[in-house]
Amino acid sequence: MSLQKAMRKRTHRRIRMTWADWVIYVILFLFALITFYMLWYVIIGSFSNGRMYASGGVFLVPNGFTFANYSVIIADMEFWTAFRNSVFRTATGVVTELLFTALVAYAMTNKYLRCRQAYYWIFIFTMFFSGGIVPMYLLLRVLGLYDSFWVYIIPSIFSVYNMIVISSFYKGIPDSLYEAAELDGAGELTIWAVVYMPLSKSVLATVALWIAVDHWNSYMGTMLYTDAGEWTNTLQFYLKQLINEASGVSSGSEYSDLVSARTISYAAIVIALIPIMCFYPFIQKHFTRGVMIGSLKG
Amino acid sequence: MKSILAGKRRKKWNARNWTVFIVATLGLIYILVFHYVPMVGVLLGFKDADYSANLLGALLFEDWVGFDHFVEFLHDVDFWNVMTNTLVVNVIMLLVNFFAPILFALLINEVKHAVYKKGIHVVATFPNFISWAIYGGIVIALTDQTTGIMNPILNLFGLSSEENPVYLMGNNYIWAVIIVSSLIKTVGWGSIIYMAAIASVDVQLYEAAELDGINRWQKAIYITLPSIAPTVTVFLLLNIGRLLTNSFEQFNSMQNAVNLNRSEVLATYVYRLSFTDRRYGYATAIGLFNSCVSLILLIVSNFISKKATGRGLF
Repeated sequence: MSLQKAMRKRTHRRIRMTWADWVIYVILFLFALITFYMLWYVIIGSFSNGRMYASGGVFLVPNGFTFANYSVIIADMEFWTAFRNSVFRTATGVVTELLFTALVAYAMTNKYLRCRQAYYWIFIFTMFFSGGIVPMYLLLRVLGLYDSFWVYIIPSIFSVYNMIVISSFYKGIPDSLYEAAELDGAGELTIWAVVYMPLSKSVLATVALWIAVDHWNSYMGTMLYTDAGEWTNTLQFYLKQLINEASGVSSGSEYSDLVSARTISYAAIVIALIPIMCFYPFIQKHFTRGVMIGSLKG
Repeated sequence: MKSILAGKRRKKWNARNWTVFIVATLGLIYILVFHYVPMVGVLLGFKDADYSANLLGALLFEDWVGFDHFVEFLHDVDFWNVMTNTLVVNVIMLLVNFFAPILFALLINEVKHAVYKKGIHVVATFPNFISWAIYGGIVIALTDQTTGIMNPILNLFGLSSEENPVYLMGNNYIWAVIIVSSLIKTVGWGSIIYMAAIASVDVQLYEAAELDGINRWQKAIYITLPSIAPTVTVFLLLNIGRLLTNSFEQFNSMQNAVNLNRSEVLATYVYRLSFTDRRYGYATAIGLFNSCVSLILLIVSNFISKKATGRGLF
């Protein structure tokens, strides 16, 4: 037994690499390199001279270093309008969906709720069956949400999946806490706000990040349910159009010697990625737990 | 005793009952309005609603056409082409992209340096958080015939040439481009759940196996894989239920006029029929067909899994 322990200690101290290890390390490195390079390509493209890029592309470093692409994007009011809408949409969407979904999750785990199973199955069914996009379009038209900023907020104020994730966390909170609050005469909404919400910060942070990433990255709603106007255009939809236009232009520059439609779109992409990059370390911290909680229910 | 309990159950509702009832019912009202009302809207698929300027009017007053739309698309060559695209891409993704994260998790589990492990995973997971609009843009940029990086690489292997560069976003290669780009985007994120499952395997199993002189491949095959099998089953089920479902944004972001013939899947086809061609009734019928088949697939795969492994979603 002691010999075995000693042996384990030795292997722990010095990591021995076999040829199989090297193969695995190299495969993983190559994979990470590919994912990294995809980003790197856009970054160096965004700092490249438009005309030089059009003739030779880029490989490792910018082709004719310039900030001109960023100057064009920063002066583009339409870009900033879309950016503002995406920020508003993400901020409003996260707050409303998180609060409402957590509130319903609380009711769904509360012992005073009657007919819980009926609610549960009515909710669950919508995860596996939907009416499709035309009926949804019609509904949004009838409700007057079409081409309104609120089309991004109101139809997604509640998520069944996130409700299940949050309520599975609530179920883990000891009943004694609830009973103590109940004895003190606290109402249900007070118990939720004062006892449950502070205790579930970690799961709420995870869910908030999921919602935020969804709102920030989505452009389907803009395409289907709006005319992409002053208050309904979103950053991703704007980028999508910019990229479409740029890929139609094969060579040369229509603006000036310094920039081209392609390199401008790369600058726009990099600016749009900055918020995601800023939040990524926080997402990173939370996502393993989040996926775990989600998977428990499946 | 029983009568007391029964009496309790019929007790009048107190404030707590009312509060949670109102809250849960608010959620229910939301679900009814935004999920069940559109399900009533699928009746458009049985109405003569194509090209209608007033969809609500069409839904309420237009003539019934029965299953005409369904008969029509089942005889439509375009529909079967779209169906082929959807099924081929999704089946390949189910075979390759579904199992790749498992392989990735097994490989990363073998890494002995914690910093290296973390670093690889952080880099490999990042693309999952990039929007399809941007990711599609990057794929288009990399595969461009004159400025992209893919063609020089293919030239090295003699698969393309400078005089006659391969157009990767064209009809012949778009499936491969979609599948490979999707793989790169999702492998890191998809592996998290399996990494967590692997981390929860009892260490004693490995130690006992080591005493028996088992090597690392045998460990992976006889201990790790069986341990994560339940997790794999659940996710496989979900994916089989999604054989006809695609991310609209994923395909829309890589479609162009040249590759449309191969890159059109049900999700984008229904969009095009509805909002470009304004064939609302016809598109709704196809959407309904899609939803029903998906539901049946899920129920069947769940049933089979329950019979075979005793595990299922519901």
